[in-house]
Amino acid sequence: MAKLLDKQRYKCALGAMQSVQAIQRALPILHSGPGCAQKLCESVGSSGYFSPNIFPCTSVNEKDVVFGGVKKLDSTIENALKVIDADLYVVLTGCIPEIVGDDSEEVVSRFADSRKPVIYAPTAGFKGNNYKGHEQVIDAIVNQYLKKTDKKQKGLVNIWADVPYQDLFWLGNIREIEKLVSELGLIPNTIFGYQRGIGQINKIPEAEFNLLISPWVGVSSMKNMERKLGIPFLHYKTLPIGATETSRFLRTVGEYAGVDKEITEEVIRKKEDYYYYLIERYADIFLENRVINKQFTVVSDAQYVLGITKFLVNDLGLIPAKQFVVDDTPNKYREEIKEEFKNLNYGIKADVSFETDGYKIHEEIKNHDYHGYPLVLGGYYEKEVTEKLKGNFLNISYPVQDKVVLDNFYAGYAGGIRLIEDIYTVAVSRFN
Amino acid sequence: MEYKIAVGTSEGIQVDLKFGEAAFFQIYLADENGFRLLEKRQIKSSSPDGKTLLSGCDGYSEKEKLFGGSCEGCTGNGHGCGAPGDIADKVNLIGDCRCIVCKKIGFQAVRQLERKAISVFDVDCSVNDALNKITSYYTRIDSGMKN
Repeated sequence: MAKLLDKQRYKCALGAMQSVQAIQRALPILHSGPGCAQKLCESVGSSGYFSPNIFPCTSVNEKDVVFGGVKKLDSTIENALKVIDADLYVVLTGCIPEIVGDDSEEVVSRFADSRKPVIYAPTAGFKGNNYKGHEQVIDAIVNQYLKKTDKKQKGLVNIWADVPYQDLFWLGNIREIEKLVSELGLIPNTIFGYQRGIGQINKIPEAEFNLLISPWVGVSSMKNMERKLGIPFLHYKTLPIGATETSRFLRTVGEYAGVDKEITEEVIRKKEDYYYYLIERYADIFLENRVINKQFTVVSDAQYVLGITKFLVNDLGLIPAKQFVVDDTPNKYREEIKEEFKNLNYGIKADVSFETDGYKIHEEIKNHDYHGYPLVLGGYYEKEVTEKLKGNFLNISYPVQDKVVLDNFYAGYAGGIRLIEDIYTVAVSRFN
Repeated sequence: MEYKIAVGTSEGIQVDLKFGEAAFFQIYLADENGFRLLEKRQIKSSSPDGKTLLSGCDGYSEKEKLFGGSCEGCTGNGHGCGAPGDIADKVNLIGDCRCIVCKKIGFQAVRQLERKAISVFDVDCSVNDALNKITSYYTRIDSGMKN
């Protein structure tokens, strides 16, 4: 039976237009109803050379539902190619044309000979949320644009992390992970963000391997690339935050890429030295047990719930209450992800629930005994319930209302420090 | 449920008349079982000299001559703001129809029709083809509403 979703935390698959937008000089062409882009975009860093307000759109109406919208799509693509100077045009379809049965793929194939590449990703809302849409966009690039090559660049590694714009810290995170990987002597290649565009996409097939850092988003795309381009992949499930996980991450990547162990350990030693120097200086605040809450809950998508839970347990020694994964993780990945939560230091296990209904989550938070004030890291929806419980709240994931993030990040050693700063800023302000 | 469809066609074979230039509309009666021709509705002229006006943008120059220049905003023609008289007449003529099928239609006329909740289909195909598609679409919508 159809039901209402209370407090949704993701968008429809057409939200993948933001993944396209994150690729510099790549333009989404929307085959959708008027207003789709307006509803899906948020003014969080989405203006620039292209912004959702100028994305070409077929604005399908009743007539196109009855008579089909392929003519309109054809002319929209044709004119977008004439009017807008982009490097890559990605046609994204919304619900209406997919239900009506427009053969958008056929229309796009007419532009195979155009000067600039035009590709097509089916992103109808009923196919899934924008996490799935993101995968569709990557698949479209791989299947329709890239060609397998025997030319390989030594040490080149494609890095894939979570979904741009959906993840508040996407830009900072991926840059930080790039930095870490390059310190191992590898050459990182990513396609999202500043100065990452068609040039980086062209380099994808030359990579030695793909590195995916995400619990589940992108796994199917990695498998697709393995098949189509012959690039093997390393799947690292946890977003590395803080020293424990980042060191483990570097060792795993180093070992997989065949990096000299001594080089890896030297990088880790240097990074950890500085990390623990900072922790040591503020030891009094960490050891003062009245400052921080006894138990915490993370309400977010799988990558942050897993990453932050591991960080808070392994690095800060906090005790996890129930954790909530709200990204509608497909069933086939859930068991694997649950296993990761049993894999914490000091034999600690975290209870995790895959729940999209905000009401149920809030009821559980209200009914749990946090042995004091709770620490809740989540979307803005959790602010009110945390305030009612007199707890400490930090907005770390979608939806974001009380934070402006330009290129801040939580990944890596430095990211762990940033997160500590943010959490303790909230915690100590209670005493002022 | 029975409903009427207005079609801009000269001989009942091809949808070949533009909304603005049509001097008459063929009205079809349709329900879930099909459609049939009901009547032909002639457009009565509302201009002072009895001449049928051209509508939309095309008609502006001629209209200016007739009404002394200004056709912006409220011209006091009794048909509301910005609606040239001939468009309003045509819209009223097919006011009882569920939709209008014609070859082309101007923005102004579409707005007027939308205000009366009349759908507009500007298509270039045969009358049969258009009506088959539209009636099957409406049948689906209506049966969905009943459930």
